[in-house]
Amino acid sequence: MAILAFLAPINFIDSLLLKFFSEQTVNYVIWPFIQIGAVVTITAGWVAYATYLERKISAFMQARLGPMRVGPWGLLQPIADGLKLLVKEDFIPENADRWIFFTAPYIAVVAAFVVMAVVPFGPDWAVITDVNIGILFVLAVSSVGVLATILAGWSSNSKYALLGALRSSAQMVSYEVSMGLSIIGALMFARTLSLSGMVGAQQSDAIWFLFYQPIGFVIFVISGIAENNRAPFDLPEAESELVAGFHTEYSGFRWSLFFMAEYSAMVVVTAVATTLYLGGWYFPFVFRFTEARGFHNLYVVVSLIVFLAKIGLLLYLYFWLRWTLPRFRYDQLMDIGWKWLLPASLINIVVSAIVVFVLQALDGWHGMHTIDSIARGLNLTASGKAIAIFFGFGNLFLTAGILSLINWRSRDFNLKKQRRKIRLVDLPKGRPAVVPTGSADVSEARP
Amino acid sequence: MPLVAVPKPTFVQKLKRFFMADLLQGLRLTLKFNIGALTDRDAVAGKGIYTEQYPKVRPDVAPRFHGAPRLNMDPETHDTLCIACNLCALACPEDCIDVIPMDVEVVVAGKARRKKVLDEFIFDTSRCMFCALCQEACPTYCLELTQDFELATYSRAGFVWNREMLEQGRETVKYEA
Repeated sequence: MAILAFLAPINFIDSLLLKFFSEQTVNYVIWPFIQIGAVVTITAGWVAYATYLERKISAFMQARLGPMRVGPWGLLQPIADGLKLLVKEDFIPENADRWIFFTAPYIAVVAAFVVMAVVPFGPDWAVITDVNIGILFVLAVSSVGVLATILAGWSSNSKYALLGALRSSAQMVSYEVSMGLSIIGALMFARTLSLSGMVGAQQSDAIWFLFYQPIGFVIFVISGIAENNRAPFDLPEAESELVAGFHTEYSGFRWSLFFMAEYSAMVVVTAVATTLYLGGWYFPFVFRFTEARGFHNLYVVVSLIVFLAKIGLLLYLYFWLRWTLPRFRYDQLMDIGWKWLLPASLINIVVSAIVVFVLQALDGWHGMHTIDSIARGLNLTASGKAIAIFFGFGNLFLTAGILSLINWRSRDFNLKKQRRKIRLVDLPKGRPAVVPTGSADVSEARP
Repeated sequence: MPLVAVPKPTFVQKLKRFFMADLLQGLRLTLKFNIGALTDRDAVAGKGIYTEQYPKVRPDVAPRFHGAPRLNMDPETHDTLCIACNLCALACPEDCIDVIPMDVEVVVAGKARRKKVLDEFIFDTSRCMFCALCQEACPTYCLELTQDFELATYSRAGFVWNREMLEQGRETVKYEA
């Protein structure tokens, strides 16, 4: 009951607004603005505290403490950092393309924030707008972020920035392909492009698409990490080679806008991954104990918490991978994108299509019943789910086989065969040249 | 080019490589550290936090650590224990100790005698290598190298400690834990 009292203001504000404005204005102008404000504020707060989380988690993984001095457990550190960034000099390099240099950070941050509009944080009022091509909107707008990276690198008039931008454009374009292809399998089961519709499909099916599409999920998450330029795919800003990559020349608040874009893009990718594969805001038993008993707002809030918890888990995965894995070499990065993820996502599409075809063919054959309904997504019966899950996980092994066939002669994969080749080519005949030890030229050769 | 014989991977090894078993092992390690840090388990065993909050939490130095010098005093009379015998200065391989004695008139058994007592004690910590040979040489256990390790000063002159500093110890800022 205490929670209901906490939620009462929503209805109260609604009735208050209706006294001053028409119903259309309230529903389509004022509430969306409130939602947008909430989402932007929460995202900005997340960006600030993501730096804190990142530092803390990295510290814990290395048996350190992380920030401890500003406030209790260093909780005020992001505020101190933010103030520092605000008062820093906004430095523009000589001969920089000034206007492009100015606008690039804004493009980055807008591309990352606009996508939040279609992310279904929860049912009913917890989603800003439900576009019926939501997933296409997400993919299209978030790839504008690449443009910001390229413009920033180009306009900086710096070789590090330019190299970082070149790398990031190649990387993001190649991973965008497998990212776009990996979701198709899930779309076959969802039968819609609306993000809320996907959650609805999983809700009415009472299953996460992760079980139908394990390969799709893995490909989506890997290409998402590469798309966000996060470690181990942080080639565009590889510190040890490129200083800071595309934002080398940026300082102060413009730099922090890039930072903000990176962290909110992480939220977007995890939100889409959650919506597509982890059931979005759907969690078993939530509906039965809240909405079915008439507590509508409680249902929305609990779903919101479920969604944020799932996002949090995936974001932890980001941090976890970053502080565990070393950075890929550039050729390895391209190998993974084009030789592994792209064929795997194509195989996934084919297998998913076969699964859907088999399910439809088996339905009604010899009295078998696999499909419940196709009103909200492809709702399967228990036997249908078993078939889909079997094919989904069997696909892992099929993909393993096909990928090893494709990459049999690629670099870093089949080392034994390649070493034998090296031996045939390189090893000189006869005795190896004897290097005299302790002679003058050996001591000279030492640094 | 020396070549290493690479054994042919078995099917299980190939499968492990495809499903990135080594990667998962690495992830398991970092997760273990993360959970260990949160649950505050033993740091020496490889879990938990190893960092010390230095100015607040002072580290325990080794029992045989030699740090800042000190001239001990008699705990009852608060007179110095130093008899100005100069043995520490002779023992010092770096010649960083100067013992400056003075003569005082004392009456022993009704006769006026002159006694050598300590006037000033100069200890140059910038030249000291903390070998503690002076401590070994001291017959009255007066000169001692303590466990205190905060010897930094703002000037080179600050490294030269006089008798007062050696007896009282230098003032350092103490942070509460």
